[in-house]
Amino acid sequence: MWTNILWVALGGALGTLLRYGINLWALPTGYPIGTVLENIIGSFLLAFLAALFIFYSHHEWFRLSAGVGFCGSLTTMSTFSADTFLLIARDEALLALLYGGTTFIGALFSAFLGLYLGRYLIDWLKVKGLNERE
Amino acid sequence: MKLLLLSLGGAIGAASRYTLGLYLLQFQEEAKLPLPMLIVNLLGSAGLAFFLALYYQDYPLTLYDDSLYLAVVVGFFGAFTTYSTFSVEALSLLEKKEYKLFLQYVGLSLLGSILLFTVIFSWAV
Repeated sequence: MWTNILWVALGGALGTLLRYGINLWALPTGYPIGTVLENIIGSFLLAFLAALFIFYSHHEWFRLSAGVGFCGSLTTMSTFSADTFLLIARDEALLALLYGGTTFIGALFSAFLGLYLGRYLIDWLKVKGLNERE
Repeated sequence: MKLLLLSLGGAIGAASRYTLGLYLLQFQEEAKLPLPMLIVNLLGSAGLAFFLALYYQDYPLTLYDDSLYLAVVVGFFGAFTTYSTFSVEALSLLEKKEYKLFLQYVGLSLLGSILLFTVIFSWAV
């Protein structure tokens, strides 16, 4: 149990640091573009990894650190709701709609791409004769 | 120091999401709305609204020199809530052709989080 929590915490710290880095990079724009990017990239990565997690299911630490920890913390819903609220409060309802729409459609589509790319990779690995044991 | 605070907040946030998610999983019914991350995300959005209203009476976008902001807002609440699992779960409902559940899940997660943030922030500020 504690080992599992430590793997999640480790991935969580790294995901948070990358999110902060992207936020800093996007700061000069004055708009919450960083969070949009993080949520889209993180959704792609988690969906891609989800296909691999089934293949490497005997490596629980991999799912916990990379999936639950890293992707989970790179992306965020609390900042998404706060940003949308801020844009509405600033009387920029159209931008709020654009922000929400881009995040939702962009993240769903990138997750779709990630999932199929991951499944494709697994199929390829299986054709190469690699089985679930490495 | 900044990076340490961020890492600490992020690590605690992610670990809390994981343990609360595991606990909530026991209430999950088969072929129903995916509950654990929906509840975590609603709770985290409400918590962030409450914290911002209480400590800053404002929503500061760029308080990157403030230790408490980095540890709690960017670190803890940022990592406690998640968007990637939401996307993957929504996609999986679409794949299963559970269109009604998809709309419920998406609506409750996105509009629910925004609405809850707005209500709590406006009430607490």
